[in-house]
Amino acid sequence: MKRLIIRDIINSELAVSTENGEKVFEMIDSYLQKKEKVELDFAGITIMITAFLNAAIGKLYGKKEYTPAFLNEYLKLENVELEDRSLFKDVIQRAKEYFANKENFEKNSNNAIYGDD
Amino acid sequence: MTITIPNDIKSEFEGYDYIITWINKYKLIKNTGITFDFGRVTFLEANLCALIGTIFEMLESKNNQIKIINIQPQVETILRKNEFLIPFGFEKITDHYDTALKYRKFTPNDDIGFNNYIQEELLKKQQFPSHSEKLGKEITRNIFEIYENARTHGQCDFIHSCGQFYPRKQDKPLHFTIVDKGVNIKQNVSAFHNQDINAADAIEWAMKKGNTTKSGDTSGGLGLAVIFEFIKYNRGKIQVISSDGFYEYKNESVTKKKLASIFEGTIVNIKFNLNDSNYYSLRSEEEDFENIF
Repeated sequence: MKRLIIRDIINSELAVSTENGEKVFEMIDSYLQKKEKVELDFAGITIMITAFLNAAIGKLYGKKEYTPAFLNEYLKLENVELEDRSLFKDVIQRAKEYFANKENFEKNSNNAIYGDD
Repeated sequence: MTITIPNDIKSEFEGYDYIITWINKYKLIKNTGITFDFGRVTFLEANLCALIGTIFEMLESKNNQIKIINIQPQVETILRKNEFLIPFGFEKITDHYDTALKYRKFTPNDDIGFNNYIQEELLKKQQFPSHSEKLGKEITRNIFEIYENARTHGQCDFIHSCGQFYPRKQDKPLHFTIVDKGVNIKQNVSAFHNQDINAADAIEWAMKKGNTTKSGDTSGGLGLAVIFEFIKYNRGKIQVISSDGFYEYKNESVTKKKLASIFEGTIVNIKFNLNDSNYYSLRSEEEDFENIF
């Protein structure tokens, strides 16, 4: 089990940029590739935004081998504040939709604004 | 040349319409000394400095030299407190009430600078709600969402930022404004749909959860929607001006209007309601975190 401390990886208590999210993604990815379990520790993170989470967590769904079952088994989230939890839910749901079928997604977005016909 | 600034420009549709028409009138001027005469201005909303700073950036990028004259003492005080006037030879002045968020401009890759700015200018302020840590956290989160949105979508040279507390008003508002002059929302959304879309509709589209012009290996489309949700609960106000679109949400209703001319960039102006004691449960619900993926 590898414990990754977000605050140490990004050297900040603010998880507010896409670039820092990508750093975290790269770390997670390197251990999951080796089938090593990861504990992602958010202790000390005071502010977190969706752009950070899209890159750190959402991007995992871009890899076909990381199924929800695999991620539930190999990736644990620790010390996430209660009020931040719904952000994770939004980002994960969004990433699943986005990567499930990018083409379909773009078509649906068009339909949402112009109608189906 | 001398340009006289009219009094009473407000951060409402008419005010933006006026300023943006005015920018377009002068946007081709280059290599000129431009004097701004503030003699008629008796009050200025401090957070408009982010927009004025953007206009000055536009003019200075064409090698124009800017000077400010006849500034009234009460306006001068505000603009020295928030340090807008410092590059024009004015001295700093202490903000005893600590209500100004200084005017600053950031390059899009200066996220550390912006982080420090928010720490210093917002989180350490006495006016910032310490009675409700959660409210303070949500407001800060939303400001970072706007900034991240500007820097990743705008491809701009600078992001201009400014704000002001009004602690003596009943709802104790915090006004915060971020302006960039990069690619605007209409261009991004129209390119995404491969079709020309009305600017105000494009802004409304971008405010909805799941809608994004981002592509590639990272998903997006939550930032503006998260802000919009929060503003609804907080009973605040959000205005987004981009291209010739004006979008405003306040008091549970949306106003969309077309400006007389095009702004090559995006203005986001938000009023947060700091006197918000009802706001405690929005994001506190327990989620099943064991099997979140």
